[in-house]
Amino acid sequence: MSDNFQFTIDKFTFKVRTDRFYTEEGLWVLEHDGSLLVGLSDYLQQYSGDIAFVDTLPVGTRLSSGDTLFTIETIKVSADLHTPVDGVITAVNPDMVTAPEKVNSQPYEEGWVCELNPENWESIRHNLMSPEAYFEKIQSDAAKELENDGN
Amino acid sequence: MMAIKKVVIVPCSGVGKPFGTITREAAYQVTEDDRPEDTRIIPLSLLVLGDEEAQAALVGAEVISIDGCALICATKMVQESGGKVSRSFNSMEIYRANRDLKPKGIAELNEAGLELANKLAKQVDQTVDELTGKAEENA
Repeated sequence: MSDNFQFTIDKFTFKVRTDRFYTEEGLWVLEHDGSLLVGLSDYLQQYSGDIAFVDTLPVGTRLSSGDTLFTIETIKVSADLHTPVDGVITAVNPDMVTAPEKVNSQPYEEGWVCELNPENWESIRHNLMSPEAYFEKIQSDAAKELENDGN
Repeated sequence: MMAIKKVVIVPCSGVGKPFGTITREAAYQVTEDDRPEDTRIIPLSLLVLGDEEAQAALVGAEVISIDGCALICATKMVQESGGKVSRSFNSMEIYRANRDLKPKGIAELNEAGLELANKLAKQVDQTVDELTGKAEENA
């Protein structure tokens, strides 16, 4: 069972899985058997709201770091999310079509979005955020959001 | 002869997003226009307050909850108030099935939002008919 960092602010509790890396915009990246599973962090999914649609690219699509990896449409926003690595999409979670709400209910497990075969993982992994760094970032972001809401 | 209780409709009470408004528009359509003889609406806020009359209306009644987000407050509150949810709906599901209808507006829905509410109301109508045994009569 994976461990989490977590904090509560106002009525919201946010969890950060400690077994994976994170991007600035809030994707998690989990390495397994040379592939990378990608999904939304608990903070990003809560911040974005209930997911209506996740639009993914076809398996086999080759992407460069910074390209749009998939798009989410929620009750609040539509947003492009970007790949942190060069690579090829090797799998897409079929639940993203039939049950995209799993991104909200199980962001770190069954709510994974896609799998990548990375081309530059060893060199790029150091540019990603550790769980500790991401945890610190979202604590700061959440505090600012709360402050802005109060003003 | 014992009176048959009307089917109770409990929509979302959320504010700030069109998906909550869609549930209420659908509930109004069902209870005021489509199936007024067979249904009544109970505001979620009365259940939250613990209003005894609202709670009593749930007892022994068929209840349809219509939620506007994943928190499913309407469904949960019916259950916590002693009611049994016969069928639950969620306005997000009707949007997923009709992506071309992008709802906007909160106090006043746009045309797409109203169309989603209408489609949702028709689904609720059908469920009401099934629960009251009038499915064939109203087909």
